[in-house]
Amino acid sequence: MRAALLIATKDLRQRARDRSALVLGFVAPLAIAALMSVAFSGTTHFHARLAVVDNDHSPLGSALVGVLRSPDLAAVASVRQLAEADARSAVTSGAQEAALILPAGFSAAATGPGPVPPIEVIANPDHLISGRLAEAVAQGFVAQLNADRLSVQAAVGAGATAPAAELARRASALQLPETVVDRPSGQHELDAISYFAPAMGMFFLFFAIGFGARGFWTERREGTLDRLAVAPVRPSTILAGKALSIVVYGLASMTVMWLVTSLFFGARWGNPVAVALLIVDVVLAVVALAALVITWARTERQVDSLSSVAVFGLTIIGGNFFFISAAPTVMRRLALVTPNGWALRGFIDLATTSGGPRVVVAPLLAILTFTVVVGALAAAQARRLVVG
Amino acid sequence: MDATTVSPLAPSPSPDGAAAPVLRCEHLTKRFGDRVAVDDVGFVVGPGETYGLLGPNGAGKTTTIKMACGLLRRDGGRITVAGREVDHNSVAAKRAIGYVPQDLAVYPDLTARENLRFFGRLYDLRRHELATRVDDTLDLVDLRDRADDRVDSFSGGMKRRLNIAAGLLHRPSLLVLDEPTVGVDPQSRHAILDSVHSLGSSGMAVLYTTHYMEEAERVCDRVGIIDRGHLVAEGTRRELIELVAERDRIELGALGDLDGLCAALRRLPGVDEATTSVGEVHVLAADARHLLPRVLEVAEQQGVEVSSVELVEPDLEAVFLHLTGTALRD
Repeated sequence: MRAALLIATKDLRQRARDRSALVLGFVAPLAIAALMSVAFSGTTHFHARLAVVDNDHSPLGSALVGVLRSPDLAAVASVRQLAEADARSAVTSGAQEAALILPAGFSAAATGPGPVPPIEVIANPDHLISGRLAEAVAQGFVAQLNADRLSVQAAVGAGATAPAAELARRASALQLPETVVDRPSGQHELDAISYFAPAMGMFFLFFAIGFGARGFWTERREGTLDRLAVAPVRPSTILAGKALSIVVYGLASMTVMWLVTSLFFGARWGNPVAVALLIVDVVLAVVALAALVITWARTERQVDSLSSVAVFGLTIIGGNFFFISAAPTVMRRLALVTPNGWALRGFIDLATTSGGPRVVVAPLLAILTFTVVVGALAAAQARRLVVG
Repeated sequence: MDATTVSPLAPSPSPDGAAAPVLRCEHLTKRFGDRVAVDDVGFVVGPGETYGLLGPNGAGKTTTIKMACGLLRRDGGRITVAGREVDHNSVAAKRAIGYVPQDLAVYPDLTARENLRFFGRLYDLRRHELATRVDDTLDLVDLRDRADDRVDSFSGGMKRRLNIAAGLLHRPSLLVLDEPTVGVDPQSRHAILDSVHSLGSSGMAVLYTTHYMEEAERVCDRVGIIDRGHLVAEGTRRELIELVAERDRIELGALGDLDGLCAALRRLPGVDEATTSVGEVHVLAADARHLLPRVLEVAEQQGVEVSSVELVEPDLEAVFLHLTGTALRD
């Protein structure tokens, strides 16, 4: 054990003198997580700027404005009432993201037997979701109006004696269900930094696969591995020392990410014990992957190729670069083939709930299974690593 | 002791027949696929002895010493170091070995002192003893003043010296050097060879591989000649030369009755043969250095004017050529 610690300490000292290892392990993940947090911040806190134009100047026009300014929509949209020309200009410039234009004569048509002119919705092309929201509100308003008209006609046809206006008031009180809801699925909303902090931490952690494998091959090429093997230590001790250095580097990298993004970027990681368990689990998976690359590669060039495939393949499939929840079903399923995909699922669950380690039992077991399988594949060929 | 052609069935005896050998290799065999890299090789190295494995590149020298150090699994044979059997898990035997690989096996991003402290700790050297050994070893290889500089700032010769220091630090019973002077400038090479010579004199057993005949002659007490995986002969330089019946040569440039001179020289005790060609006389003898004054005396007596004298002593290159039919550097 002492010899393994010596070897690990030596490896870490060398890594500490390697600027690229420090950048990839500590600086880059923080910087990229912060950048991606900024880049994706609009996707989790959606808020539309809508304009409404009442060319009808009628109670229905007031009703539409009322719907848009209702408490139900206040969380997702701000509404300004403008003249039509101003609204079109504002949408074109982007000052307003979309506009609903109620045409003149809308009320008269709605209360008469003829066709009702449509409510026009215009949207800035950079704000398509806001345009969709405006369309949904317009469709809901028209649907509610049609339901009211149908109710009154049905009541009159059935011989109701109350005045039509009273019937319309009663019908409009029976509103259609709301369709625009802004509610997180867990107890807490998942913001971008809470997703990308662990995602980027793991992405850069995976570079330790290359560091570990390349370090081993460098020792082999330069003859220092032979010198270690001639020393009074067992080959298994040398491998343990190498693995230990990857574990310490990986834990340090992820822990710094955890602390810095929590303290300075407001990331929510969740229960510390569960987070620590997930981090340790993922770091062990990285050690197993490094061992597999070391044993499979036959040249240093192959080490680089296999490491790159492992890093980028796993992180792209695992969803480290995008919100996995927004990905197609097939991608969401594929992500669960990877340890980082499972880990991300665990981190999301922890960030959006107040759960403890129980919340991440499934991810922990899945990652552990991955580690055991990959580690076994590496161990099958590890015999030849130190002694020829 | 006489030089011997080596029986593949048994190792050679200890050089003095008394002290227990530090390294004993018996019937070593190593195959890489169908190719037999080392074939039934055996030799011993005693305390204070420097044993050279001399052979061309690819002869099996490095494979042999890698097996001796437990770096390579052997397909046959037995190796003991300081009485303990060697394999890759034999911690006790490996503690007695100091290994200086052909590569510059030190960490370039650590300082010389950090390198030695790391390797020293692997051999359980601690605190005061470790610090003292590191300083002493740095002194030995003349790197004390660069102890705290990173190795990647060193010249090739300095790295070589540090490479040797890392193998010496724990004062092993057996020091194994694998072509330690490859790519070294003449000055560093000279220093390295002096160090090796003094280590042998201090009682350390040294196993030294080289394909430089001059190095083997200079530092080795005994030499094993290895070719195509076979140890074809071993002994001291003189023993090996006698083994192949190589003789010294005296080449005279001369004017006068050269046939008469040859006839007179043939009658001289110690002269095996004397022949002449245009303006030259060639004399073969077992010990030309001692015979030379008498040869010049006879020439004067015969009235032959000697214009040049060249003494040619056979070397290990000639022995190798004789034993294997190829030159050492072929």
